[in-house]
Amino acid sequence: MTERKEITCIVCPIGCKMFITTKGKIIEHIDGCKCKRGAEYATYEALDPRRMLTSSVIVQDGEWPLVSVKSSQPVPKEHVFTVLKEIKKITVTAPVNLGQPLLKNVARTGIDIVATKTVKKR
Amino acid sequence: MADEAVDVAVIGGGPAGLAAATAAKEHGATNVVIIDRNSWLGGILPQCIHDGFGLEETGASMTGPEYAERYIKMAEKQHVAVMKETMVLQLNRKKEILAVNKQGIHNIRANAIVLAMGCREKTRWHALIPGDRPSGIFTAGVAQAFINLYNIMPGKNVVILGSGDVGLIMARRLKFEGANVLGVVEILPHASGLPRNVVQCLDDYDIPLFLNHTVTFIKGKERVEQVTIAQVDEHMAPIAGTEQDIICDTLLLSLGLVPENELSKQATIEIDSTTGGPVVNQRLETSVDGIFACGNCLQVYDVVDMLSHDAKKAGKYAARYKPKKPSKKAIPLVLGKGVRQVVPQKMTEAGKTEITMRSEKIQSASTLRVLVKNKEIFKKKLPFVNPANMIKTSIDIDSQIIASGQPLEVMIDD
Amino acid sequence: MKNFQIAIIGGGVIGSAIAWELSRYTVNVAVFEKGSDVASGASKANSGVIHSGINSAPSSLKAKYCVEGNKLFQSIADELHFPIRWIGKFVIAKDEEEVKELKHLQEIGKKNNVQNLEIQDGLHVQKKEKNVRCHAALWVPGAGITEPYNFTIALAENAAENKVSFFLETEVKGMGKEKDFFKLQTNNGSFQAQIIINAAGIHCREIVGMVEEPDFQVYPCRGEYLVLDKNYSSLISSMIYPVPVKEMGVLGVHLTPTIDGNILLGPSAEFINDVEDKKTTKETMKTLFAEAKDIIPILPERAVINAYAGIRCKLASPSKGGWADYRIEQSEITPGLINLLGIESPGLTAAPALAKDIVRMIGESITLKKKKKVKQPIKRKRFIELSKQEQSQLIAQDERWGRIVCRCEHITEKEIIDALSNPLGAKTISAVKYRCRAGMGRCQGGFCTQHIVRIMEEQCRMDIRDIKLRSPRSTLFYNRTREVKHGR
Repeated sequence: MTERKEITCIVCPIGCKMFITTKGKIIEHIDGCKCKRGAEYATYEALDPRRMLTSSVIVQDGEWPLVSVKSSQPVPKEHVFTVLKEIKKITVTAPVNLGQPLLKNVARTGIDIVATKTVKKR
Repeated sequence: MADEAVDVAVIGGGPAGLAAATAAKEHGATNVVIIDRNSWLGGILPQCIHDGFGLEETGASMTGPEYAERYIKMAEKQHVAVMKETMVLQLNRKKEILAVNKQGIHNIRANAIVLAMGCREKTRWHALIPGDRPSGIFTAGVAQAFINLYNIMPGKNVVILGSGDVGLIMARRLKFEGANVLGVVEILPHASGLPRNVVQCLDDYDIPLFLNHTVTFIKGKERVEQVTIAQVDEHMAPIAGTEQDIICDTLLLSLGLVPENELSKQATIEIDSTTGGPVVNQRLETSVDGIFACGNCLQVYDVVDMLSHDAKKAGKYAARYKPKKPSKKAIPLVLGKGVRQVVPQKMTEAGKTEITMRSEKIQSASTLRVLVKNKEIFKKKLPFVNPANMIKTSIDIDSQIIASGQPLEVMIDD
Repeated sequence: MKNFQIAIIGGGVIGSAIAWELSRYTVNVAVFEKGSDVASGASKANSGVIHSGINSAPSSLKAKYCVEGNKLFQSIADELHFPIRWIGKFVIAKDEEEVKELKHLQEIGKKNNVQNLEIQDGLHVQKKEKNVRCHAALWVPGAGITEPYNFTIALAENAAENKVSFFLETEVKGMGKEKDFFKLQTNNGSFQAQIIINAAGIHCREIVGMVEEPDFQVYPCRGEYLVLDKNYSSLISSMIYPVPVKEMGVLGVHLTPTIDGNILLGPSAEFINDVEDKKTTKETMKTLFAEAKDIIPILPERAVINAYAGIRCKLASPSKGGWADYRIEQSEITPGLINLLGIESPGLTAAPALAKDIVRMIGESITLKKKKKVKQPIKRKRFIELSKQEQSQLIAQDERWGRIVCRCEHITEKEIIDALSNPLGAKTISAVKYRCRAGMGRCQGGFCTQHIVRIMEEQCRMDIRDIKLRSPRSTLFYNRTREVKHGR
C-alpha cells in the first residue's frame, strides 16, 4: 500500500517541508528536501521514527523529590506512551547518580532509562 | 560581617557563570568565587530536563542537568570557590559587592567582576492581557520548575501563549504528565521556536498551533476558567469577530525573556536597549572598567553552547584584567538594515573578533555585510536567517579602522 | 452555637477598624470575612490615599469623617506601626479655565477646615515636580499615603491579639432576628450575636436584605489601576491629580506614589452590573497609560508591572450623578443592626473616625468597659531597611534572615515565615505578599513563588493542594506529578 507523508525536516533551522511516498518498508520518492542530510532524516522518519524521551522519577529520601531521566537511545514513536507509563510507576531511593540506569529494557524495547542528575541523600 | 577580597567574582552560577569562572581560573586568576542565589548551581539548567544541549560543543545531545553537571565538575576541578544561597544586594563601580547569606553579610572586593545574572520571564503585564486575575496563570519557566523540580502539576487543561522553545517544550512536558494541552497560541505567522521543537512537541501529539492569534481575555473568578483567543492583523491587533473561547484551568505564558540587569544599573553600567544588556567591547567588558558581562544578562541566547563559548571569553579577560588608563578609542558597531541587535557593541582592538547578532526578520538567501563609511569590509552569504536563531561570525578588523574612530555598520540585505 | 455580643460582617478596613476599637473593651466580638484574608475587597484595591477633605461636599458625613480621620491617622500609624507618608498633593490645571476649578476646590477645602491650601503657578510646581508640566496647581499638604492593606492587616491583627475572633473564609449566608439576638448562618456553622455591624462593603445590601426590605440600591462602580516599576519612583514626589474632568472618554487619571516607590495610575470609573467583576480592560489600561503620559511625557511603556481593579459601593446611580453621602445608621426596622452603607472614597481616610463613632453608637446599647491592659501591636521587621549591624545580628540569631527569597524586593525567608504565622491564620500567597511584600516586584513572583511554596510545604506543613493564591477557591496547583508513598 502506498503511503504519502508530510514531514518537516529538523536537521537545520530552515525546516524544509518534505513529502515522502513509501510502499511498505520501501521509500518510493522524496519531494522537497534540499540536501543529503535532509533525505537521510526523511528516510528514518518515514520508516522508523524515534524520539529521545525525557521524564522524571520519584525519589525517596533525596534532597530533591524527583530525578530527571532520559532514554538511553531514541524510542520508537509508537512506544512513547508505554515507556512513559513505566517510568511513572517506579520509585528510586537516594542516592541516585547521573548515568545510573533506573529501568532496564523498558517495555521490552531494549532501551534503558538512565538518571540525568545526581540526587544525594537528604 | 565578613570582608573578602578576590581576583574574580562571578555573579550567577548558571551555565554562563560556571563557564566564566572556570575560564578565569584556567587563565591564571588565583581567587575566583561564584555567587549564586539558589541552593544549587546550574541556574535554570536543572529544570530543563529535555535534551538538545551541548550538541555543538561535544557532538552529544545532553539534557540540561547533564550539561550543568559537566560545567560544575569543571569548576570543581579548577577549585572555583562557591557561595550558594547568597544574594548580591549591591554592586558599585569600584567593584565592591555587598552580599548576604545564612552566614551573614559579606563585603567582597574584586579585581574584576563577571556579571552572569541571567534573565527573568516576561509577565502577563508586559502584554497587558486584560481580564480577571485568577490563579492558574504561570510563566512557562515557573511551571517547568514546579513539574520538574518540585513534583507539582500546575493544572489539567492548559493553554500556552507563545510558541518560543520554552512554550513548545512545556507543551510536550505537560502532555507527558497527563495534562490536556488545548493549544499553543502564537501572535506571529510562524512558530518562534525551532522547527525541531514544533515537530517533536506539537505535531507528534496533535497539539493545535494557533498562528496569528493572541489571548485577548482571561476569565476566572478565582481560578482560570477560560481564555479568549482572537486572530490578529498585520499590526498584531486583534480582529473583532474572530474571538473564540477555550475552556481551560491553566494558562502558561511564554512571552519572552528579559535580561536581569538591576545590579548593572546600580553600578551605572551603560545598557543597550536593543539587547536589554550591557554595552560591551570585544572582551565583553562593560562601560565600567573591570566589570564584564556574559550569558543571558548580556543578551538572550538560544543555544547554550554559544552562550558558554562567549562566557569563557568573559572569564578569560576578567582573569587578565589590569586597571588601565582609559586611552583606547572605541568604535561603535551600528545596526544597519535588517539587523536587530549586535554584540559586542564596541571595538577597541584590531584583529579577529567574533560577533553575534539577530536578524530583524526571516529571510532566505541574504548577505551579511559590514561597512565602514559605506565601504564594504566584510561579506558573508547566509542561506537562511531567522530572528530566533542567533548568528555568529568572525570578522577581521585592521588597526587603521580602529584608529579612524569610524563606526562599523552591520547589515543583512537580500 | 457560638455566641458573641457583637458580630461584624466584613473584614475590610471598616470592619477591622471597628474590631480594633472594640478590642480595647471587655466585649465579645467576632468578625466574619468571606475572603481568605482581611482586606479582600475594595480595602486593598484603592489608591491608599489619606484624603484632606477638599473633595468632599461640605456638611456631608463624607467630609466630617474624612477630616476627622485624617487627623487621627498619624497617631494610629505610630501605634500600629504601619507605614504612612505625608507627601501632599498637587491638583493641576492645564489652563486658566481649569484654575477656576482649583479655586472651587480651595473653597470646599476652606469650608471643610482643610489647612494650608495654596494655589501655585506652573513654574513653582516645576521646582518641586520637574517632570510635571501644568499652568497652575492647588497644593494640598494635608494629603498623605499609606498601604491600605497593611493598615487593615495591622488593625485586624492587633484586634485578634486582643481577643477579637476572626472567622476567615466564612460567609454569612443567612441571618434572622430572634427576640434579643441575631442568628447567623455561615458555611462554617451558626452563630449568635446581640449587635450586628454591617461592614460588608459592596455586599452591604445583601446583608440588609436578610432581615428587612432594603430602602436603597447599590451601584457598583469599578476602578482600574496600573502599577509602575519602582525604578521610576523619582518621576514624581507628591500625588499629581488633574482637575476633575467633564469630557467624555477622559478619565482624569491620578498619579499616586506608594510607600515603596511604585506609582499608581488610576482609578478609572465604570458603572458595572456584576458586583464581583474586577476585570481590567484593554481600553481602560491603554487610556490610563496614555493620560499619564500626557502629564509625564517621558513615561516608558515598560514601566507597567501590574494592573488591578477595585469596586466602589455607590448608592447613587450614574443618572443621578453617582454621588451620595455615607449612610451610617442603626436600622429603624431591625434594632441591633448597625449599617455602614456606601463606604466609597474617602472610606480609607474615614475609617478611624467612623470606627470611633460606631463604638459610641454601640455604647448606647451595651455597656462598654475599657480593658486595663491591651497587647501591643507586633512590628514586622523589614530586613532590607535595617542597618548592616542589625542585619548581621538578626542573621546570627536566626540564619533564615540571611536567605533572600524575593529577589526584586529583597525579602528574607524569616519575613515570609513571620507573615505566614499571622494571628489571623491567613495562609495564602497574597497573605504573604501583603504582609512582607514578597511577589510585589517587577518579576511578579517569577522567582519567589516556588520558594514560598516550598516554605509553606516544609515549614508550615501545608499540602500543596491547599495552597491558594488569594481567595478560598483560587488553588495554585492541580496535583502532584507523582504520588508519594510516604513522607515527601
